[in-house]
Amino acid sequence: MTETTLTVSEITRLIKKDLEENFSSLSIVGEISNFKAHSSGHWYFTLKDSDAQISCTMWRGVNNYVFFSPQDGMKVIIIGRITVYPPRGNYQIEVRAMQPAGVGELQLAFEKLKIKLQKEGLFAPENKKEIPELPMKIGIVTSIGGAALKDMISVAKRRFPLVEISIASCAVQGVDAAKSIASAIHLLNIQNEVEVIIVARGGGSLEDLWAFNEEEVAYAIYNSIIPIVTGIGHEIDFTIADFVSDFRAATPTAAMEILTPEKEEIENLIRDYDDAITEKIFSKIEELKEQVSSIVNSYGFRIPVDLLKIYNQKVDTAVYKLNRNIEKYLSERKNKTELLTSKLSAYDIQKTLAKGFVLVKQEDKFVTRAKKFQTARSHTLIFYDNQITLNKNYEEKN
Amino acid sequence: MKKKINQSLFKTDLQRLEEISSLLDSSELDLEEAISLYEEGIQLSQKCLKTLTEAELKVNELKSKIDLTTDDNF
Repeated sequence: MTETTLTVSEITRLIKKDLEENFSSLSIVGEISNFKAHSSGHWYFTLKDSDAQISCTMWRGVNNYVFFSPQDGMKVIIIGRITVYPPRGNYQIEVRAMQPAGVGELQLAFEKLKIKLQKEGLFAPENKKEIPELPMKIGIVTSIGGAALKDMISVAKRRFPLVEISIASCAVQGVDAAKSIASAIHLLNIQNEVEVIIVARGGGSLEDLWAFNEEEVAYAIYNSIIPIVTGIGHEIDFTIADFVSDFRAATPTAAMEILTPEKEEIENLIRDYDDAITEKIFSKIEELKEQVSSIVNSYGFRIPVDLLKIYNQKVDTAVYKLNRNIEKYLSERKNKTELLTSKLSAYDIQKTLAKGFVLVKQEDKFVTRAKKFQTARSHTLIFYDNQITLNKNYEEKN
Repeated sequence: MKKKINQSLFKTDLQRLEEISSLLDSSELDLEEAISLYEEGIQLSQKCLKTLTEAELKVNELKSKIDLTTDDNF
């Protein structure tokens, strides 16, 4: 048996051919260690079990199809082929696809990340932002074609159509979903027009929802300046995103319901205000009326009225006195006139007497007719110069 | 910022309505002030109700031009 001497390159080429031909399609289970995601986008890691290890690469573009972020210690099943790298003389597996070795692996990854983020304070209640009470602009981070979006929009339309919705569409599973979700959150933050963001996805398996369990999404939510409400999967699904978010709603529609008041509620609120201010203005007017009337009835305000009364009374008294005085004056004048009149008429009699007429008086009365003369009584004859009284029993001579 | 103020006119109106309601509780108001507040409140409430009745959901999709360029920062 003759030994053929080969160059290093020749033997490497042979090995490469042999290995690459015979191990072109492999499925290998192992635990990830030394995982490195290079900035170029390629992944480098070692797959190992208790007794052996093998280097692996997963190129950018191919690794986009891995729905989870591989972590050290995670047990995975990879599909790939063996390649030999002649410059170093080593072999490695070029990985084409990667799956967690079981749901348990994802659960494990989930718990591990949860603990890590918890330690970092991403779930801390004091870091939660307040959810605005009546947001007028809501951002939605979800798949534009998803049923979740349709449901949320119909909830908004029905409950509070005044709200404005901005959709930042993203992939919610598979290819690059975590990055896409994080970008959408980031985009809404850059635009800074919405008051709150809903990060949502309809129901699905743990794998389907996995993007929401990724660190990248967790940080995007944590770093968002705008408050975030999550509505991912169903009631029973809890994702890392739910723990980080400022409020976790059970479903996408529940998230929208929390942020939108029922239109009727708002209408009733407005009507209540309407009633309240009407009632208040009337009671205000009533109050002022009472104030006015209490002022009007106050002692100070009564003084002019009292004065008026006093003056009225004074006027009345004056009028009364005036009337009385006038009467007195008039009656005095009347008496005087009467006196003068009688004096005047007496003066007329004297003149007549001077001419020789005589007045006859009986019992202090003038006897003006012969038939009134009483012969049986005394009588007085009044002359101009004097008067003579004659005794009774003066006989009548016929 | 200006954009934001315009966008939440309804909310501003609603807040003002609430404010008017509590202002009317204060006894320091004189009648003219109270009446003008009342008028403002009634107008606001009518306006708010009208806005609600006539509201139609506005939905817009953000074009993800920005996110590609900012991916690295995130």
